Amino acid sequence: MSFNFNDDNLEKIELLKSKYPKVQALSLPLLWMAQYQDGFISLEAIQEIAKICETPMMEIYKVSTFYSMFNLQKLGKYHIQLCKTLSCKLCNKDDVLKSIQNELNIQVGESTSDGLFTLSQVECLGSCGTSPVMQLNETYYENLTPISIVEILKALK
Amino acid sequence: MSLVTVNIDDKSYEAKENSLLIDLLILHDIKVPYFCYHESLGADGNCRMCMVEIEGKKRPQIACDTFVSDGMSIQTASEKISSVRKRILELELINHPVDCPICDQAGECKLQDYYMDFGLYDSNIDMKEKVHNKKHIALGSSVILDRERCVLCTRCVRFTSNITKSGELGVINRGDKACISTVPGMKLDNPYAMNVVDLCPVGALTSKEFRFAQRVWFLKSTPSICHGCSTGCNIFIDHNQEKYKEDKIYRIRPRKNREVNGDFICDYGRLSYKNLQENRQQELLNKSNVISYEDALLELNSKISGSKNIVILVDANLYNEDIAAISNFSQKIGAKLVCPTECYFDDSFGDDWLKSDYKCANLQAIKNYKIDSLFSSDQQIDLLINFNHPSFSKFSSKQSVEFSTHKGSSAELVLAIPAYSEYSGTTINDANIEQYSQKAITTDVATISEYLSDLSKVAL
Ligand code: SF4
Ligand code: SF4
Ligand code: FES
Ligand code: FES
Repeated sequence: MSFNFNDDNLEKIELLKSKYPKVQALSLPLLWMAQYQDGFISLEAIQEIAKICETPMMEIYKVSTFYSMFNLQKLGKYHIQLCKTLSCKLCNKDDVLKSIQNELNIQVGESTSDGLFTLSQVECLGSCGTSPVMQLNETYYENLTPISIVEILKALK
Repeated sequence: MSLVTVNIDDKSYEAKENSLLIDLLILHDIKVPYFCYHESLGADGNCRMCMVEIEGKKRPQIACDTFVSDGMSIQTASEKISSVRKRILELELINHPVDCPICDQAGECKLQDYYMDFGLYDSNIDMKEKVHNKKHIALGSSVILDRERCVLCTRCVRFTSNITKSGELGVINRGDKACISTVPGMKLDNPYAMNVVDLCPVGALTSKEFRFAQRVWFLKSTPSICHGCSTGCNIFIDHNQEKYKEDKIYRIRPRKNREVNGDFICDYGRLSYKNLQENRQQELLNKSNVISYEDALLELNSKISGSKNIVILVDANLYNEDIAAISNFSQKIGAKLVCPTECYFDDSFGDDWLKSDYKCANLQAIKNYKIDSLFSSDQQIDLLINFNHPSFSKFSSKQSVEFSTHKGSSAELVLAIPAYSEYSGTTINDANIEQYSQKAITTDVATISEYLSDLSKVAL
């Protein structure tokens, strides 16, 4: 398997190159691009980025593991990121989590066998006023209850 | 560069302006604990163990990132510093497994040493609460990683990124999960990789070849010179004679020499001790029958006196003292002395760092004694005497004698000689530096000089 940036991205890369004094500065933007293009960052993508950034593959790999928002594994179509920080925890996110686990039959960090859902827990999503909160792909779902979450998931199936 | 005076623990020292404080402390044997600093790798400032008090500075400072200036006043052993070091060590040990009884590094581990020097606290951590991690990951190149023991000093990472520039290792993840790794599916793979084992201050990186072989406090370290190539890296031969067993070499380690090899050696040289103890010639053989030392000398003498056209082959790995003795001997018996050198040449071995194209330790001596490095003869050779030269089998002669370290000789008369680790002598490396190797291993086998001087007694 090999990875190539699509034409749109290649154009963007050229533009970025002209903005920074060193190509190594492109590591983070290129990791984002790869993730948006494939849904996750494959080792092949890391290899390609290392080539463009003229740096050993390890340099890109370690950056990709440092940030939790980079996904190195293929994710389900819907990525559930449930907030686990203080406000959400106090407002009963634990029961919401149990409800998700029951409904989908997966643990945190796993994907459903049909490839539809991946379940993660994340730090504060910055929406404490409406906790508990989950981010589903790019959308926030707020004021969750163990019942409302099941309805949301059912609608997606 | 101008010199400045620095006051350390109420004594004054001179140092070059803008040199590193930690170098000054190390130079004068002033106790300072450190994990991440290394003379060949530079400062990284991540371990925080090297804290000292500097007059006029509010907080303790790290010595590895402090440049000396005139009149600086430093305390390295105050109560405050001791307690700072104790606390840092305690943090370092939070997730450390403390499995010293089964760790190869025990006895030469910085963490152990510093704990005895500065730690000695009661742990606040319950063993069950420690973060566990993988304990034997084969990184490649015979290096095994134990992630639980790692103190994340990044010496190994900086070695692969700054010195070999092969960039195989890195710190991945972060926080409690941070650990050393290669890229998945890739290996630590370069001709100097095993230096990370010496660089690692703790038992996180160990050598597959040395794992569980010996406790380091039983080993004797003998200073010597690697005979792998003509660079002549300075080494320690670590060996031990267990009860009722032969003295055995367990590992070779680099010995610091700024002029030659710095702090490092190549993996080929490091592992060359195996060949020193395998398949060794121990007996004296005449037509495959074991004979005594005296009979061997008589046989050699009669061969020499019965031959006219004698050729002597000499190995470019022998010590200067051997080559001198052989050169004298060859003049005395009127023999032709040669050392064909093309068999040592291997440009796939050499590189632009330590490894040289010539895989022999004393080429320079062959040149100094003006010994022919090319040999061809249309004349029939009556007697060929080989002093361990590898190309012996390429020559044909009526009669042959071989002084040999290793088995497999086809000569009629085979005389065992010691390997370089089994006696002492000097070699000259390709930068023309003369270096001395001490005797590490004891053997009963006679040296070339002994053979030749005893032979002259027989010949009288
Ligand atoms: S493996 Fe050893 S050298 Fe490498 S970071 Fe860990 S402690 Fe340091
Ligand atoms: S570079 Fe040559 S002398 Fe140095 S360790 Fe390697 S083989 Fe031995
Ligand atoms: S704690 Fe959940 S959004 Fe802030
Ligand atoms: S040696 Fe100074 S911080 Fe590690």
